Amino acid sequence: MKNTSYVILYDGTFYDLINIIEYLLKEKIKPINIKSQEEYIPNLFDITFNPKNNSNKLFNYLFSYKNIFKNIYYAFLTKFENKEMQIFYFIINFFKYKEKVVYYKNLNCVINVLKMTKYVSNENHKFKGFTRFRMVNNNFLVAIINPENNILELLSQHFSRRLKNELWIIYDENHQLISIYNKTNYIIYKGIIENLSFIEEDWEKLWKSFYNKIAIEERKNLKCQINHMPKKYWKYIIEMEGNENEKSN
Amino acid sequence: MSIQEKLEILADCAKYDASCSSSGSKRKNIDGIGNTSYSGICHSFSSDGRCISLLKILMTNVCIFDCKYCVNRKSNNNKKAIFSPEEICEITLNFYKRNYIEGLFLSSGVIKSPDYTMEKMIETIYLLRNKYKFNGYIHAKAIPGANPNLIKKLGSLVDRLSANIELPNSTSLKLLAPNKKENDIHKIMSYVKNNINRNFSPSGQSTQMIIGASKESDFDIMNKSDFMYKNYKLKRVFYSAYVPVNKDKYLPNITTPPLLRENRLYQADWLLRFYKFQINDLFDNSKYFNVLLDPKTDWALRHIDFFPIEINKASFNNLIKVPGIGLISAKKIISSRKYFNINFDDLKKMGVSLKKSKYFITCNSKYYNNISYNKNFIYTNLINEGSNNKLISGVQLSLFDEKY
Repeated sequence: MKNTSYVILYDGTFYDLINIIEYLLKEKIKPINIKSQEEYIPNLFDITFNPKNNSNKLFNYLFSYKNIFKNIYYAFLTKFENKEMQIFYFIINFFKYKEKVVYYKNLNCVINVLKMTKYVSNENHKFKGFTRFRMVNNNFLVAIINPENNILELLSQHFSRRLKNELWIIYDENHQLISIYNKTNYIIYKGIIENLSFIEEDWEKLWKSFYNKIAIEERKNLKCQINHMPKKYWKYIIEMEGNENEKSN
Repeated sequence: MSIQEKLEILADCAKYDASCSSSGSKRKNIDGIGNTSYSGICHSFSSDGRCISLLKILMTNVCIFDCKYCVNRKSNNNKKAIFSPEEICEITLNFYKRNYIEGLFLSSGVIKSPDYTMEKMIETIYLLRNKYKFNGYIHAKAIPGANPNLIKKLGSLVDRLSANIELPNSTSLKLLAPNKKENDIHKIMSYVKNNINRNFSPSGQSTQMIIGASKESDFDIMNKSDFMYKNYKLKRVFYSAYVPVNKDKYLPNITTPPLLRENRLYQADWLLRFYKFQINDLFDNSKYFNVLLDPKTDWALRHIDFFPIEINKASFNNLIKVPGIGLISAKKIISSRKYFNINFDDLKKMGVSLKKSKYFITCNSKYYNNISYNKNFIYTNLINEGSNNKLISGVQLSLFDEKY
């Protein structure tokens, strides 16, 4: 591998990232960083390079290792800045150790990719519970979410099975992504939804009173509550609305 | 009475049931609404820190039984309410659509007779499953004394069917729940055990014991759990610290629920089910758990000669005996050490907690920071670290005084 001072740019998609890593491996180029064009802030000293490759060979090869592919894909969905380089090193080690690479927990890139994967699947799991829909015009459901990682695709898979016969929209406010489901497929695209400030009084009131009644006063434990349901998520969890500034003890 | 008022009453009365898990079932959504998640999903957490997964309600809080500890007992003059089957369906479906809940937990006071109560519950759940094509999670409580045919029907509609034993022995049950027969509850459990399959209570059964309402020791309670795990293949025994809702000469005069004791029982329960501990390992001379140390650490200090455990050589069964090393950490260690030699830094990187385990392990025959190895030293250190733990300090210290 040639050490270079290149900053490699890709188009922000997982597909392109893997294709570009394939190119780098073939040309034996070790860059100093890999960034998506959109996130990259130009810098006088960087030599940027935007290779083109559509072979998909590496992509298909990785795809045949289900567990490895899942780990890399989930790591790609995280918010972490150095994720691309960690994936790059992880793939290099994958060629060395094949699917056993995940057991080499003394390698930083392995530890990091596994951590990122866990981080994404944990957050995805949390949002399977914390997402709150509102019914609009007795016709379709709308939810706003604010996850740290880009879990909308994973979450949409979940709800397309669960709420199969409903029309729904999930808006990821942090990543400005919208997922729209039409009872058959969901499509995710970039965009902003504004003015979603309506509420659904009856059901929300009923839910809030259930929520308050189910707690046992004698067992009050706000610390435990916050551990399981961090405050950063409270904004759209309707039973917590208005509690964000409440002091915990 | 409005739906709102009914829900408030019937949720308030259901809250003392500890079970809220929604795991263990793989029900799919076939052209209806809902499915289940094998690992279960928590949708919210109430201010007591407990998970809210299911719409946990009673069908009614009217009850012909007079169990001393129960808020719904016949002799209590609290406000009574009854949900109709359609009302329960409507709330369940609307909460489910909005993703407030994972499904329904339906229990009930005994209205008219056990059979009548069960029939009404079956009607409700039948509607949900068939008319509304609801495939979300349903946990129903069987009513002790009901006809086995009804138990069969209900079990075929739900993901989990269970009955609460409530008290660890028949003497206490007679004293505190005079209308409940222990035998009726065992009958339900054994029926469910013998019939569990894909179409009958697929996620198994669980039960609950109230802790601190009667005089049984931790030893008695764990023995009862062990017996039920072995004989009825229960998924879980839930331990529910007694919340003093009623005054009665047969009930202990306490003001706070014994939460630390409940916690120790859960820890011991885990050791029994997943860590290959036997009842005899859990207790030495006392019939109560050590309040200062968790049962695994307590065991480790009583068996100090068993340690240290060498991380790079020990068997899985020995690794999981180390305080601070759980099943996941042990699996990680076993799967990784084939490929490289593990040192303390690697353990940290792998996310294995060293807080307690460092006293009981070696990596390549070396102790952590070369700590000198001595029972009293470890004991003092663990107690000091533990005293930062909120469970032991503060309000809940008062629990030490209760000898129930």
